Amino acid sequence: MRRFVSQGGFWVGALAVIAVALPLLVSSTFAIDIFIRILLFAFIGVAWNLMGGYAKQLSLGHAAYFGLGAYTSTILLIRYGVSPWIGMLAGGIVAMLASLPIGALCFRLRGPYFAIATIATAQVLMLLFLKFRDFAWGAEGTTMPNLGDAPLMMQFDSKAPYYYVVLVLLAVGLAITYWIERSWMGYYLVAVGEDEDAAEAIGVDTLRIKRNIYLISAFLTALAGTFYVQYIYFIDPNTAFSFNVSVEAALVSIVGGIGTLWGPVVGTVLLEATSALLQSWFGSGHGGVQLTVYSLILIAVILWRPNGLIGLFTELYQRFAYAGAGRAKEVPLDG
Amino acid sequence: MLTTIAQAVVNGLLIGGIYALVSIGVTLIFGVVKIVNFAQGEFVMIGMYISFFLATSFGIDPLIALVISMLALFFIGVLLQHFLIRRVLALGDMPQIFLTFALSLLLVNIALLLFTANYRTVQTAYSETAIHVGAINVPLAKLIAFAVAMLLSGLLWMFLHGTDLGKAMRAASQNRDVAMLMGINPDRVYCVAVGVALALAGAAGSLLMPFYPAYPLVGQNFVLMAFVAVVLGTLGNITGALIASLMMGVAESLGIQFVGADSGLIVVFGMLLLTLALRPNGLFGGWSR
Repeated sequence: MRRFVSQGGFWVGALAVIAVALPLLVSSTFAIDIFIRILLFAFIGVAWNLMGGYAKQLSLGHAAYFGLGAYTSTILLIRYGVSPWIGMLAGGIVAMLASLPIGALCFRLRGPYFAIATIATAQVLMLLFLKFRDFAWGAEGTTMPNLGDAPLMMQFDSKAPYYYVVLVLLAVGLAITYWIERSWMGYYLVAVGEDEDAAEAIGVDTLRIKRNIYLISAFLTALAGTFYVQYIYFIDPNTAFSFNVSVEAALVSIVGGIGTLWGPVVGTVLLEATSALLQSWFGSGHGGVQLTVYSLILIAVILWRPNGLIGLFTELYQRFAYAGAGRAKEVPLDG
Repeated sequence: MLTTIAQAVVNGLLIGGIYALVSIGVTLIFGVVKIVNFAQGEFVMIGMYISFFLATSFGIDPLIALVISMLALFFIGVLLQHFLIRRVLALGDMPQIFLTFALSLLLVNIALLLFTANYRTVQTAYSETAIHVGAINVPLAKLIAFAVAMLLSGLLWMFLHGTDLGKAMRAASQNRDVAMLMGINPDRVYCVAVGVALALAGAAGSLLMPFYPAYPLVGQNFVLMAFVAVVLGTLGNITGALIASLMMGVAESLGIQFVGADSGLIVVFGMLLLTLALRPNGLFGGWSR
């Protein structure tokens, strides 16, 4: 058991070293751009996974918080000249505040109807930002002021610094998940996820637990929103509140393995790698190829591996690691 | 002013008939099989493309194509239940939600690959015809669609209440285990329920074709409405879904008329959130969840 944990630590350390060294080894901006996308969606997946994976509250409306984070920092930057670093935190707080009433409404529903209600909240926010032009540029959106190389304003003249920013975000997300997994809250979350009524019956305040995890999940998702618009220098309601963000957040977690620490990371690496391959085979002109393949992967995972592909990897790893020693399988890599 | 309101109400009721066909399908599957079909809108889309190709290749009127698209979708529904949905029924929420969700993504994107994102329309002899009742303008194609939708809803009600299979379906939706004890084969009942629900979606597609363009994402316009109507009308309640759909059609139409063209959806989602806040069990009582 102890040996296993330290081995896990070893692999995480090795992974971290590779992740930090990657921009030094790879100079192609195209490749770095793909890495940034992978890290960003892995981070959004990690944020979603806290809600959807551990507490099994399957939200399809996380774009609401992504968009609120993006708009808060952008409005603060353009109207008041506030640095996006501060705007990012402000966006997180706005998202947390928004998650309270949204949660109060949506938690009245369970399962599929919770998912539908969350879709509705993200759509309503998008429509509001489309409709109220004076407040935030309406449908045309706006571009970020280009300040050149201004690290204090979260603007860099090369891609590598963006890579490190989102790498830190992902590391923070994973650390928070790791910490929650091992705290009393983690156990409550899993109890809620397994059977809400039973959890309530043994004295878990399910509504409070769901509200708290929603706050954390919304906060983290909003950080991703700020980062994204700073990275692409542009914001409009369709980008910020894109349904695809909500879908991708859930998708990477499910394909990787919901309710596991590394599931969203594994899922994002697999899906984004697939997507990059498809693009090099078919070119980017063929709309539909990527999502067709994504949905086929998703159906296959649901039918044959509902716990996600990470289980497959840990199984293979254990078989490989213990084949010689002939030891029985032990705890999975991530508890 | 009064005419404007009356006109908006009529428009809303007519399109509400189509919403009703979609939402009755959703609520039927939910009531009997206990899953939410996120792909219901995509089956409307398939019904539209079937009618489109029958009309352009063979000159078959969408109203006749209705029979073919209903049969085709009934068959697809039976296969869907037997080969896909059946396999996730014993699993939790996640596989149940994301199976049909993935199916919806898949169908939209296959349609995009096969038919491109272009809008396809069918012109029929009655597409542009309208009946004038006083100052109110009633488009004939929409009136026919509404009438057929109500007829089909009535037939479904008679089927559920008057036939053995229909009664078995209602029994299975009330209590699966007891229904099994009574000798009802749930797998067969589930297949029929999904088949009938998809046939209704196919009918909606054919009825829409004379006045609504077909394109890969068209289903989303109807499925969101249907979900709201199903919550509003109390989950699993078919009459509730019908009444709620008509109400939502009217609310959307009034919203477009008086608030602005792009605000129909805001009105609808507003209704959903308001319902959740005030009456989470829907307007027609019953059970939550």
